[in-house]
Amino acid sequence: MASAALRNQVATKWQDAFNRLNRGQPGISGLMGFSEAWSVASEFLYPKDLGDPPKDFNVQHVKAAFDVLIQCRTLPMLLENFVETMRQRQYLITRDVEAFMAEYENSNDPGIIAKLTLRLCEWYAAWAPLVELGQTISAAYVAHFQTHVFSVLPPTFAGGFKALISATLAAFTDPESVPDAALVQDPNLWQCFETLGLTERYEALISSVCYEHIENHVTGMCAGKWDEQMLSKLREWMADKVVPWMLLPYARGAKTAEEARAMLQGVGSRFDFHVCKTLCDLRTKELFDIIIDYPESAAALQDLKECLQRVDQRSQLVQSLRKANKRRLLHPGADTKDILTQYVSIIRCLRIVDPPGVLLYKVAEPIRRYLRERPDTIRCIVASLVGDGESGDSLVDDNEPIQPLQGPQVDDYMDPNWDPEPIDAGPDFRANKPSDVISTLVSIYDSKDLFVKELQVLLAQRLLAVADGNYDNERRNIEILKIRFGEGPLQVCEVMLKDMTDSRRIDQHVQQQNPSILHPTIISRHFWPSLQSSKLTMPGQFKKIQDIYAKEYTAFKPDKRLRWLPHLGTVQLKLELQDRTLNTWTLDELMSRVGLTERTASLKALFAWVDRGVLHEESSENFRLLEQAEASTVPRGAAHRPIIEDEPMASTVAQEQAAQMRVYWRFIEGMLTNLGQLPIERIQSMLKFAPGYDQTQEQLAAFLEAAQREGLVTFSQGCWKLHR
Amino acid sequence: MKVTIKQWNAVAQWQWDTGKQDDATDGEEDVCGICRNPFEGCCPTCKVPGDDCPLIWGECTHVFHMHCLLKWISTAASKSQCPMDRRQWVTAERKVAPSGR
Repeated sequence: MASAALRNQVATKWQDAFNRLNRGQPGISGLMGFSEAWSVASEFLYPKDLGDPPKDFNVQHVKAAFDVLIQCRTLPMLLENFVETMRQRQYLITRDVEAFMAEYENSNDPGIIAKLTLRLCEWYAAWAPLVELGQTISAAYVAHFQTHVFSVLPPTFAGGFKALISATLAAFTDPESVPDAALVQDPNLWQCFETLGLTERYEALISSVCYEHIENHVTGMCAGKWDEQMLSKLREWMADKVVPWMLLPYARGAKTAEEARAMLQGVGSRFDFHVCKTLCDLRTKELFDIIIDYPESAAALQDLKECLQRVDQRSQLVQSLRKANKRRLLHPGADTKDILTQYVSIIRCLRIVDPPGVLLYKVAEPIRRYLRERPDTIRCIVASLVGDGESGDSLVDDNEPIQPLQGPQVDDYMDPNWDPEPIDAGPDFRANKPSDVISTLVSIYDSKDLFVKELQVLLAQRLLAVADGNYDNERRNIEILKIRFGEGPLQVCEVMLKDMTDSRRIDQHVQQQNPSILHPTIISRHFWPSLQSSKLTMPGQFKKIQDIYAKEYTAFKPDKRLRWLPHLGTVQLKLELQDRTLNTWTLDELMSRVGLTERTASLKALFAWVDRGVLHEESSENFRLLEQAEASTVPRGAAHRPIIEDEPMASTVAQEQAAQMRVYWRFIEGMLTNLGQLPIERIQSMLKFAPGYDQTQEQLAAFLEAAQREGLVTFSQGCWKLHR
Repeated sequence: MKVTIKQWNAVAQWQWDTGKQDDATDGEEDVCGICRNPFEGCCPTCKVPGDDCPLIWGECTHVFHMHCLLKWISTAASKSQCPMDRRQWVTAERKVAPSGR
């Protein structure tokens, strides 16, 4: 039972609605008009199958109908109706999409995806209401159409779409590689993407396609190619090939070149960054080999330098190079000489990449630490300093100016060009800016005394080996080294050279007085590395020649005497052998005759004669002189020779070693003075530099313990140091 | 067997003839009483040993680096005495060819 008021209200509402639809026209003609307009409009909007004949509408007519509906404020209802019919007709699109996707999944041809998008676009166009009908209808239509399309696209579509995009990109950069270039280059395609909202939806995917393309191109073009600068070429490639493509997704609707440039700016710099990053990654990965190839690979280093300015990958570079060094360089299989050569190349290369030297400092640290532990590092450095003839490529560039060694520099704050340390420099980074390679190598060790000592040993060996009296090479080297190390430390070497020339002068004088076949080198004891003394006495005619010469010498230099070092030097002998009765000597007899105390040395000497077919070993330690060559016995190998070091001489060996170790005590003392405290491994590895040192680490340990008992050294925390 | 020496490049050290006949012992070597450097080394002011930094022999049988001794003698405190035994320093005449050897 409705109240009057309610009835009244309903009546008013109804009247309002009627008036709205009738638009104040007489009778119900307005209502009729509305009804007609509604059916025209819904007929117009009805989503048809693409196969159906095209609708033939009078645009004016349709517009008029929509105007009527707008006047009657029933547009929302119409839209709702339209959306509902679209939903009902969706199956048409779904059917198509499924058919295309099934085909794509069979063939994996991105062209199918292109066809699919074009087809979807046809649907879109077919169902689209007129643009003139206003924003509201179009927007609602687009939103619903896209929602629907996305809902029916299967997950494989994303993959297919990516393949399609990369095909379009490839069609720009390398047209031959794409089979149906015409299809993927269709300019309508991008219009379709845009219409369907695919560009927006798959934006990340599109840029990832581009990134991948750049990566492939950079890797393909630049890998292993170090002899020219690639970065500028890559940028050209970007400008010529990739940018025209980029116009499609990123600069649609640009009317002028100016506008397009503005639209591309952001994305362009992102891609440029990616080019640099990819190149930088590649070069970082290749860096170890680039360094090996230096200086042919200098261009690649320039590239790397430019890339590093754009991309902050310095720490990655350090880590990767350190890793490569550890794996490929710093292992027992590598020659010290090779390590040094590579280290020098690293120095040169990283100076190109990073002139302040921060990268170098970080990379070099493990190499230096490793080299310090290698026993023959100093020897190698010194050998290359004096330009050892063996290897052609010296560590030192001959063109480099020779300059004195440089210590760590103190910042000069008065320098107007002073720069602060780079931002990623570690706390212990020392700006050793223009220091040369030799200074860097020498600074591996804390003291340069070691180098001078080693140099002295090396020089001694070379001088004593020189047979023709030509020391110009050595003299020249010493002069060069004087510039580096200074006069003082090399004074010793100077004396050695002087001894050589003095010896020749003296020899000439002596030869005039009393010709002799003996040409001794007379050395100043304290200025040569300690040469082992020997108690060998020369037999018969040798002794006589020595005595005569010594007498002449004393006559020439009245205040001086000669002390022979019979175990050094060379002698050319002529042996005349004939048939004769043989006598055999035992080793012990021989030794007592020549006064040798070292059994191993005498054995070695005897075996040298055995090898020449002069002596024959009858039985163990019994030797026989072969007056007639015994062909069968001559080519005896060392196979069944007792291993000399294994001679059982237990009682005397220990004493002998102790005596030997006393010689090396001076070395140990010296190194502990120079380097503070050292672990036993270091002492052992350094002692190996000493001439003739052949003790094991256990023997050294026993000796150090003995020295500790005598209060000469102390042992704490794994290190030995001098007791003060 | 006949052994003929064709050529011999030997190595020898020179040594000052300090009058001691102890070639054989190469243990503790003789040092200059003033600078404590070995005779075969050189005095602190010299760089090159041997004839450039010779020894000087005294009548008292003491031997020094010549430079060391001359420097000592030139100081007033020395009173021209041998630093070892405080006797008047007299430089010994060296026999040019020691007959005993």
